[in-house]
Amino acid sequence: MEIGVYWGCMILTSQYAYEMSLREVLPKFGISITDIDQVSCCGTPIKNVNQKAAIYLAVRNLALAEKAGINELLVPCNGCYLSFSEALHYWEKDDTLKRELGSLLAEEGLEFNGNIKLWHTVNFLHDKIGTEKIKTAVKKPLNGFKFVTHPGCHILRPSTIVNVDEPEKPRKLDNLLKALGAESIDYPEKLDCCGGGLLLSHSESALTIAGLKLKAIKSLNVDGLVVSCPSCKVMLGAKQEAVGAIVGEKFEIPVLYYTQLLGLALGIEAEKLGLHLNQSPVDKIIEKLT
Amino acid sequence: MTVVDLMSEAKMNVELRSKAIEKGRYELYNCFQCMRCTSGCTSMKLLELKPHQVVTMVKLGLIDELITSGIIWTCAMCLKCTERCPQDAAPSDLITALRNLAFDMEANVPEAYLKVVSTVLEVGLIQEEQKVTSRDFEVYDRGQLNLPKISKPGEIFKNNLLILLTPEED
Ligand code: SF4
Ligand code: SF4
Repeated sequence: MEIGVYWGCMILTSQYAYEMSLREVLPKFGISITDIDQVSCCGTPIKNVNQKAAIYLAVRNLALAEKAGINELLVPCNGCYLSFSEALHYWEKDDTLKRELGSLLAEEGLEFNGNIKLWHTVNFLHDKIGTEKIKTAVKKPLNGFKFVTHPGCHILRPSTIVNVDEPEKPRKLDNLLKALGAESIDYPEKLDCCGGGLLLSHSESALTIAGLKLKAIKSLNVDGLVVSCPSCKVMLGAKQEAVGAIVGEKFEIPVLYYTQLLGLALGIEAEKLGLHLNQSPVDKIIEKLT
Repeated sequence: MTVVDLMSEAKMNVELRSKAIEKGRYELYNCFQCMRCTSGCTSMKLLELKPHQVVTMVKLGLIDELITSGIIWTCAMCLKCTERCPQDAAPSDLITALRNLAFDMEANVPEAYLKVVSTVLEVGLIQEEQKVTSRDFEVYDRGQLNLPKISKPGEIFKNNLLILLTPEED
């Protein structure tokens, strides 16, 4: 099958490992990726200053996807996924909005019909491909590995708009880990935010919030932390040293995208999955696996 | 961070209140102050944000205080409050509406937010394509990682976005 992918700014401009790992793993399940040209920011940062403009950005991207013949769209970033889901929600309800934004789209020869199904990495792998299929595809099972997951806020809440997983008891990322043979530990801080949303206005508090979460995870002595959002990955992974300095701890917690771990379990080389780009000490995992 | 001393300064501003309310999609007057929102608020611990208080202040028309105190920019947008509110008061949506109002009024919007807006207007994305450094200190760009070239949006997009971001005259 074919699936369109809207990568979003963070993945396209810096979080390359997420893109690399998805481009590696999806074909193993017979899925080919259609890219979309001329996409812009999804609208998330613009929403803070003007919600209508944010919806324009979202529906414009979705209209570009429709134009490329895409009716199922994978949106791997949590923030983009919420932005598009929200836009779809309001587009369907609000005829004035449809008319106003519709005429702006028309200037670029675009039209948005709303016939698009959105997927996030987590529900696409869990519900569309399915954990059974993943289990059978595994070549190097992650037996003996213990992880914790951080699903991230924007694929869970508000559940009136996004429904990737249960809002208060998300299990899909954990099930996906189990499909690889690994164990997934539940912990009370699982639903806690990474702090990313505060980085622009209160960076020290943002890092402290990430630090509180990492402290809790450190005490669990797990092999690593598994994420599915580029923003959370930066906060909890790349910024680990800065976070540690703020909360007075030394963190050496490997943080990876689920798709990277999936790739390893499917027998794909670490470098092809962008694992050399993770700033957290993921070597421990690669070594333990080989 | 917290709101200013309300005893000495606060005045109800009905006009601003309707502007804030009209920007949103929440059942503000349903709020019965159960504080469920505040009990789980990510920003409460460190920055003293109390979403139930924001809801009440909007009801009372104390919009200037919310905007000038900067408290609306302490929200981490974790959306727990909106998910958990039993009354659909959606505090995080209300905070977004207040942020939009602050932008229209050119009042106390943190510099970094304005910078992202101008980058999106210029580049179409939140930043230009970056080179990244591996753990072995090798530097890579998209091409070296075998990733396809990015194609960016054009001028019509930028003009449309600019039109939408320009506050309406009333
Ligand atoms: S906004 Fe909702 S959760 Fe918060 S105090 Fe009001 S009713 Fe309770
Ligand atoms: S969205 Fe903002 S106000 Fe609501 S719980 Fe999260 S940090 Fe608090």
